[in-house]
Formats: sequence, C-alpha cells, structure tokens
Amino acid sequence: MPKVLIIDDSTVMRKMIQRNIQQSGLIVDSFVEAGDGKEALAKIAADSSIDLILCDWNMPNMTGIEFVKALRGSGNQTPIVMCTTEGSDAKVVEATGSGANGYLTKPFTPDQLKTKLGAFLQIK
Amino acid sequence: MDVKGIMDGITSDIKETTKTLFDTMIMLELNYDNASLIDETQIKTDVIGMVSFTGQYHGVVGVFCSKKFALKVASSMLMMELQEFNNDVKDAIGEVSNMIAGNIKTKMSEKYGEMHLSIPIVIAGEGLSITAVGNVPTVADTALSCFSKDPWLMTYFISEKEKFGVGLLLKESK
Repeated sequence: MPKVLIIDDSTVMRKMIQRNIQQSGLIVDSFVEAGDGKEALAKIAADSSIDLILCDWNMPNMTGIEFVKALRGSGNQTPIVMCTTEGSDAKVVEATGSGANGYLTKPFTPDQLKTKLGAFLQIK
Repeated sequence: MDVKGIMDGITSDIKETTKTLFDTMIMLELNYDNASLIDETQIKTDVIGMVSFTGQYHGVVGVFCSKKFALKVASSMLMMELQEFNNDVKDAIGEVSNMIAGNIKTKMSEKYGEMHLSIPIVIAGEGLSITAVGNVPTVADTALSCFSKDPWLMTYFISEKEKFGVGLLLKESK
C-alpha cells in the first residue's frame, strides 16, 4: 500500500496536506513526515518503501531544491511533487529540471491536490 | 521607485492573494477593509508573522493580528478548536505569512525581477502572569510595536469580526 513522505517545515501544513489527501479519495496507506530536506534524506535512507514525496521549497537546514538534487544524485527515482509558495515559471523550470516530477503551488484547493497527486496514486 | 508609486498595484496583489488563501485553505470569510501607508508607531498588535525577501527589491511582508484571530485561523486550518495560544498557532500564522508573501513575491517578480524568500518568523506578545486579589493568577495581554524607518503599506481585512493587516515594506536594492 502506498506510503507518502511529506516534507515541510510547518507542522500545521503537514497535517493539512495529510488530511486533504485522506479526504480526497486517493489511496494512501501511511504517511512519513520530515521538517526539512536533511531530515527527509535520513527518513528515506531508513525506509525504502516510500512511494511518493511532497516537498516544500523554503525550509531551514536543507531547502527543497537541494533535497531534490541530493536525492536524484543518489540515484533514487521516487516521484517528487513540489508543494510550495514559490510559483514563478523560473522556479518550476528549476525544480523539474532538477528531477521533480510535479509542481503544486500553495495555496491549493483539495481538487488541485487530488489532480496533481492522482498522477502518482490510485483513486478509490 | 518608491512604495507610493506602485501602491495600487501591490494592494491589488495583496487583496487577491489573501482572498485566495482564505477561500482555499483557511476557509474563513474575508472582506477587504482599506489600505494606506502607515507609520510603524501606529501599528499595535499581538501577533506578527514576517517573511523577508531579497533581490532587485528587498523588504518584508508581515501579517498583523490579534491572538484571538490567530487562534481562529489556526483552528480553522487544523479543523479543531484550539483554546490555547501554542506552537501550532504560531506555526499556522507563520505558514499564512509564508503563503501570502510567496504569492506576492511571485507577482512582484514578474514585474521587478527574481526575489528570494526567507523562512517565516512569528513574534507573539507573551501573557504576563500577575497575582490578583485572592492570590488567583490572571493573564494580561501585551501589545507589540513594530519598528522600522519607512512606512508600511498596510492592507486591512475583516474576518470573523476581527480586523487584521497584511503589511509590506519595500525598498529598491542598491
């Protein structure tokens, strides 16, 4: 069953994303949380069963884009959807060029979240 | 360029961004009240959420609100009734500031070049514990002032019968 890693320095945002996914009809078995890119890399190293990663951009210690580059540099191809307030075309190009597979700009509606993640998760 | 010269355009961006945020993720009704340039000595508040940005222009986006309103926002975001001003409430105001600042920055970047955001900082007035008659502890709210040399472009909104402001300090980088 799918496991989703949510990387965001806001605990409130991590809870909101989790709740939105659970209410969306997307099939997810469990969630893993990380407060920054560095913590996320450690979680991934300890758990190889993560199926999808949602990643904020601006975070302390290691930013989202640094995380994407580090993960792809290690050869890990787990799908990554950026979930961030950074909405400029330049940021989208930078993220996808670095290996992100999707891009969702905050604030988002439940339908927008469902559509973006529906490309990687099954819907009930 | 100074803030006065682009005030109308930025006020429109702040109104649109804040309205979208409240409609999509906070789920509280929001009405625009007014916008004006305000000296920092006129800003009195309990809670300030701030995100700074740098680039061709630099500055700060701030959310100014009461503790009562911060509790309502956090409660709505978490879909649970919060009674205490705790870290979740600060976190929620930080994220609100972050989403408003991020979207304003994106709109401004289209006109004034790429900018970079900081992570949010939230400052809240601490309750003072005092001893009242009968030795019963009570709490007195404090108010914070924000200090800067330049006026804030303040855009005020009303939500849940509470007035709150989204402020912007903007300077051209030399």
